[in-house]
Amino acid sequence: MSAGMGEPMLALDKVSLSYPSRRQSFDHGSHHVLDSLSLKLYEGETLGIIGRNGVGKSTLLRLMAGILAPTSGKVRQRPGKTSSLLTIGLGFRPDLSGRDNAMLAAMLQGASARQARGYLEEIKEFSELGDSFEERVKTYSSGMLARLGFTTALKTHVDILLIDEVLSVGDAQFREKAEEAMKSRISGEQTVVFVSHMEGQVRDICSRAICLHKGSILAEGDPVDVLKAYGAILREPR
Amino acid sequence: MSILQYFRLMDTMARMALRADAAKYFLGYIWWILEPLLFVAVFYVVFELILDSGRADFLVFLMCGKLVFIWFSKSVNQAANSITANKGLIGRINVTKTLFPLAVIQEGMYRQITVFLLLFCFLAFKGYPPTQAWFYLLPVIFVNYLMIVACSYIGACLVCVMRDFSMVISLSMTFLMFTSGVFWDARALGDPQKTELVLAVNPLAFIIDAYRQVLLHAAAPDWLHLLQIACGAIVLLVVVVAVMRKSSQFLALRTLS
Repeated sequence: MSAGMGEPMLALDKVSLSYPSRRQSFDHGSHHVLDSLSLKLYEGETLGIIGRNGVGKSTLLRLMAGILAPTSGKVRQRPGKTSSLLTIGLGFRPDLSGRDNAMLAAMLQGASARQARGYLEEIKEFSELGDSFEERVKTYSSGMLARLGFTTALKTHVDILLIDEVLSVGDAQFREKAEEAMKSRISGEQTVVFVSHMEGQVRDICSRAICLHKGSILAEGDPVDVLKAYGAILREPR
Repeated sequence: MSILQYFRLMDTMARMALRADAAKYFLGYIWWILEPLLFVAVFYVVFELILDSGRADFLVFLMCGKLVFIWFSKSVNQAANSITANKGLIGRINVTKTLFPLAVIQEGMYRQITVFLLLFCFLAFKGYPPTQAWFYLLPVIFVNYLMIVACSYIGACLVCVMRDFSMVISLSMTFLMFTSGVFWDARALGDPQKTELVLAVNPLAFIIDAYRQVLLHAAAPDWLHLLQIACGAIVLLVVVVAVMRKSSQFLALRTLS
């Protein structure tokens, strides 16, 4: 495991993010999500992020993916590395088939049309979508969406895979298969950041974990210790 | 992503959308020509059969205007909403936001090629056979395309920043339909100064008129005016593309929040 060694894949340096509130008539000013947070991500590691709802986990993933820019601070990603974020209910064009969506996702990550086409059969097989692969994504259940999203990202060789709760919705059998696939890649070059409420999953898969609380990192390190810290704040009143 | 890959991806998105769209309807691809023709039919009924336009060539005159206008209005309308419509992809991958409007415009271009072919056939049938002057169409179509892209990009940014602009743009298209000489002739206003003013103020009126000059009168468009519009569109495009590249994450934030 390469955690803690060499140049980080991705480094967040004192990153803060605040959203302007949307309904200004009700709530003036802005909503602070992350507050001066620093974090490094190393090649090949699987980092778990835990924390209560609304603590900024998803926002942190979006910053890591370069989808959002921090209000202050810096996000540095190693040049030429691709990252993709998997979120429940996002990431697909509902009017297109699973096949077309997978093709688009691969091309968006920089694959040529031919390369992308080459991934498709593998995606169809691993995702176990069968004939539904040709159906419009609009008709998919959340579990099917999770399978398509996870498989597409896994098989199109994204350098940094950012997973937001997606694996909590798939059925148990596929979840195991996905966890297995991630584990087998932990020693390889696949870097994974993983948001989950399932403590067992974090403990089993992650090589390192952080616990987010009130916009900053409360605990960082071995998943078992971090989960203990998380357990402590769960017992606190909000 | 290289430039070549960018255009491949954009084209792939357009083709997928076309296929998905055709699969949705029983008549499929036939709608490409049926929809604009129905528009023409409605206008023909109102302005020729009911209001009596007084022109012998009203049908071809109307088709030249209406089919060009629909290309513009539909593309800009859809492209302006394309960034917000692709919320899903934008929330997942950091991608250049110019991709989405351009893919929608490309989709419209594929349809428009069919529509233009239909228009040319109809013109030939009605006694306006192709002449060498039709080569003038190439620069006219190109400038028309530039106008579509420039307006779409600006519209897409505005809709991202404030969804209300979606309504404004759709209303503007109705306004433009009445003011751009789609069903009336900018050259038949009786007052040459008024004609000049209409063509100078509204680039779309000029473009529609240019199509008619070429197709119906085998006359060259006003090259200088065409060039001015092209330059204006290019300047706008360069600025708005620079802004979109710079504020890619801001646009994502506005799309997602």
